[in-house]
Amino acid sequence: MSYEPKIIAFCCNWCSYAAADLAGISRMEYPSNVRIIRVMCSGMVHPETVVEAFNLGADGIMVLG
Amino acid sequence: MTLSEVTGVSGSEGNFTVSVKEHPRYVDTSKCIACGECAAKCPKKVDDTYNASTKKRKAIFVKYSQAVPLKYQIDADECIYLQKPGKCGFCAKVCPAGAINFEDTEKHHEINVGSIILAPGFQAFDPKDAGIWGYGTLPNVITSMQLERYCSATGPTEGHLIRPSDGKPARKIAFLQCVGSRDENKCGNGYCSSVCCMYAIKEAVIAKDHVPGLQTTIFFMDMRTHGKDFDRYYQRAKTESGVRFMRCRVHGVEPHGTDGDLRLHYINEEGRQVEEYYDMVVLSVGLQTPKPVVRLAKDLGIQLTSGNFAATSNFMPVLTSKPGIFTCGAFAGPKDIPQSVIEGSAAAAGVGNLLAMSRHTLTRDKTFPAERDISCEEPKIGVFVCHCGSNIAGVVDVSSVADYAATLPGVAHVERNLFTCSQDTQDLMVNLIKEKGLNRVVVAACTPRTHEPLFRETLKAAGINEYLFEMANIRNQNSWVHAKEPAKATAKAKDLIRMAVAKVSPQFALHQLSVPVTRSALVIGGGLAGMTAALNLADQGFPVHLVEKSDQLGGFARMLDHTWKGDEIKPQLANMSARIENHYNITLHLQSEIKEVEGFVGNFRTTIQNKAGDKTVIEHGAGIVATGGRRYRPLKEYGYGDIKGVFTGIEFDTLRKAGDINVREGKTFVFIQCVGSRQKDRPYCSKVCCTHSVQSAIRLKKEDATRKVYILYRDIRTYGERELLYKEARQLGVIFINYELHGKPLVKHDMAGIQVEVWDHVLHRPLFISADVVILAEAILANQDGKKIAQLFKIPVDSDGFFQEAHAKLRPVDFVTDGMFVAGLAHYPKPVEESIAQAMAASARAATLLSKESITLEAIKATVVEDNCDGCALCLDVCPFSAISLMEYTNNEGKISRRIEINKAQCKGCGLCQGTCPKRGVFVAGFSLDQINKQVAAALAV
Amino acid sequence: MVVGGGIAGMQSALDLANSGYYVYLLERSGAIGGAMAQLDKTFPTNDCSM
Repeated sequence: MSYEPKIIAFCCNWCSYAAADLAGISRMEYPSNVRIIRVMCSGMVHPETVVEAFNLGADGIMVLG
Repeated sequence: MTLSEVTGVSGSEGNFTVSVKEHPRYVDTSKCIACGECAAKCPKKVDDTYNASTKKRKAIFVKYSQAVPLKYQIDADECIYLQKPGKCGFCAKVCPAGAINFEDTEKHHEINVGSIILAPGFQAFDPKDAGIWGYGTLPNVITSMQLERYCSATGPTEGHLIRPSDGKPARKIAFLQCVGSRDENKCGNGYCSSVCCMYAIKEAVIAKDHVPGLQTTIFFMDMRTHGKDFDRYYQRAKTESGVRFMRCRVHGVEPHGTDGDLRLHYINEEGRQVEEYYDMVVLSVGLQTPKPVVRLAKDLGIQLTSGNFAATSNFMPVLTSKPGIFTCGAFAGPKDIPQSVIEGSAAAAGVGNLLAMSRHTLTRDKTFPAERDISCEEPKIGVFVCHCGSNIAGVVDVSSVADYAATLPGVAHVERNLFTCSQDTQDLMVNLIKEKGLNRVVVAACTPRTHEPLFRETLKAAGINEYLFEMANIRNQNSWVHAKEPAKATAKAKDLIRMAVAKVSPQFALHQLSVPVTRSALVIGGGLAGMTAALNLADQGFPVHLVEKSDQLGGFARMLDHTWKGDEIKPQLANMSARIENHYNITLHLQSEIKEVEGFVGNFRTTIQNKAGDKTVIEHGAGIVATGGRRYRPLKEYGYGDIKGVFTGIEFDTLRKAGDINVREGKTFVFIQCVGSRQKDRPYCSKVCCTHSVQSAIRLKKEDATRKVYILYRDIRTYGERELLYKEARQLGVIFINYELHGKPLVKHDMAGIQVEVWDHVLHRPLFISADVVILAEAILANQDGKKIAQLFKIPVDSDGFFQEAHAKLRPVDFVTDGMFVAGLAHYPKPVEESIAQAMAASARAATLLSKESITLEAIKATVVEDNCDGCALCLDVCPFSAISLMEYTNNEGKISRRIEINKAQCKGCGLCQGTCPKRGVFVAGFSLDQINKQVAAALAV
Repeated sequence: MVVGGGIAGMQSALDLANSGYYVYLLERSGAIGGAMAQLDKTFPTNDCSM
């Protein structure tokens, strides 16, 4: 089986989350192994959460804002 | 009301009847889910006007992907079925929602309103008509709007800047300014469109970002970057981005070779003929009033200017010639976005003043049943999985997703719906919540950004707290982007629902905060802007405290004579002062200053102190900063203060009016522009001085045509219809000589009188002018006490000392601090009518607060965990809204301890504090660290 | 009644609705937004116009 990384993306409600919606409206395609978590500002993502995500097996984390 | 236009207006101020024609959309907006199936199948392609014809769209279309309302419409002129019934009709066959209605008809409405605001906007000049620049015949000649579309990710090339003729990346682009502006020969538009210089610079800079190594040249006559921070941007474009600027007018574009290259021919500043070759030419097209709008205005009896813009007075810049009909935006003269937004609010203030008596008579409040307390219940989650027609169900195996959802902890009920957002599903949800005693809801459908408000209302209607809700985005961020991978999309949908369930389980009820509003305003500064704002608010029925530092009203405007349209300023000021002194709603505090400020939006307490030292505390819900500006005194420049006969522009006005002998008998006058403006220590344009000098020059010439009048300038910035003054001055024989910053004119004094030396670009030699009077167009500066006020109200000032608005484009009168607004010269140098418009805008913005008895604040706010916070105060500095303060308290052991306190009215729930806190001492309700961690864990659980 | 759903008209309509008036907002085309919605990015922050 090929390697499938698990990626968590923290997206700001006001910009990158909206952009992810727009990607859908525009029917763009991207790999399905990204899980988007909506936050009110990328600044609310705690370093602890990022470390915890790596501990739980995330291969990559994006904080988009 | 979309697809609607006004066909007639009867009645008068306070009681108009407007006839409206609503064109058929042929799509039922209550059914359309904007899935795009119809457009995918529609066989008819037409030019897309939204994309300035750089791209095709279908006959059934949404105007653009973020359109509001996001509903399809059929272009009846192009639709095959509507042109020939019986043919085609594919859209109706494929629409999963049954939204297509070919039987839709035109509707007519008669609407009774108290007032009308005309904001019909502009259309870009179409250079095809003039035929000079090769537009329409040479494919690589495009308009500025087309370039915007090429640079846009949603445009024809997804943001790749390529030549339309052959798709090659552009390497060298020329921008030609004033296409359709300042040109009566080719287009009949004598006015300046005000915005093209700035947008051309922006486009040139952005184009360079798109294509590394791209060369851009802007060919211009005068660089009109007169707005706030515009000149800095111009300088940065030159020095940092490497945009080349060439002062000349190019008269034609010719093809060069057969590959689509273009040849420009021009005469440079040294007078030499130059030929240059470009890949692409961008025409910076001007703004004009659309023809149907001109017709409408004539039908309504609204006076237009020679340029076909709504005629307004400088003292009432948003009122048309017809009482009760207001205007704003580009119809009231060509202008940029911030000024349009300002006028939009100003027109609202005009209407607010007119209709103050009927406020709140036609609006309704919704009512909801009482909320059930669920705090002691175990989670009973209802999951609703939406098919969205085939949008989700066509990709995702919804039945397996629903089966999976039922196995998740806490889930008590799962339901699938064809359209979860439809009205019947809402009713179903309400019943299910009540019947099954559900206490949390997850909707797996589209995006919370559009649909969360709808479902929250449904929860409210079902009698549970609206925040016990979460959405799983399985359409926009799943089925639509993984259409070719159904198995993976189905697995992802399950993950997303698992994450939503994990997040909503610990969610508790949240309540929106209601803060009472002190329904009065404080206006700081008694100049033209402050007076305008105070009068408007007072006329709308709100008590106003007007605080002025000096002993009289009028401010900077007391030094001015007339507006650019020629209205006398002094009688207007006298009239306004008298009204203020006698207004029952205005308390005037002369010779008073702000000493202390506390509180927040809706509830400020400001202490002022008068000259005698008496302090007064004013309670107010909103505040307007209109502290004005001051004039620059050019000591030691151009002989000012040393040489008799050298005055500033404002001094000269006074002398001329008083009949001073030097002026009366003077034969040669030299105006020097940009004195103190647009230089290293003050890199901004003072905006008003060009028009002021041109007007003074016209008067001098009209009084005595034999006088010699020179204006030495860097760029003449008579923007908008002020351009007509510039033209008049040239016709009267005023001589304009351009100089550069590195070659400022020299003013000397000898036995013969005053000698002005300036480099003449046409003759290539210094020119010596013996002058009787030299007039220095002095800069406008920020007031020195602005910084103090800024500190007291916690509002920012920029590096030039002017107050910094919340957003340069979209919130031009608001501050980041809620409840505070800015107007007039305190914000940036500006002419009378713009100060008045901004003051009215500030008043309208303040009225949106003061018209309410209380304001409701979003419940997503930071909350302190008292046991965890140890008062380290790390979060204090990161909070962008100054909502956190440190306070001392006595702990259980009787010791003094510290912890933070959140001002809920100021907190916006951004959670920077949560992201910073090392002790879990603060969290944002609805997005707590616990909830986010649970979501992460759920995402990685499988 | 506000005639025109561009940036100026929208601002008027919002301010009036937020201060207690019933507003009719008329737009000639199928969606509000006006010319600003066509712009790619805007000065000074290069914010997307949307």
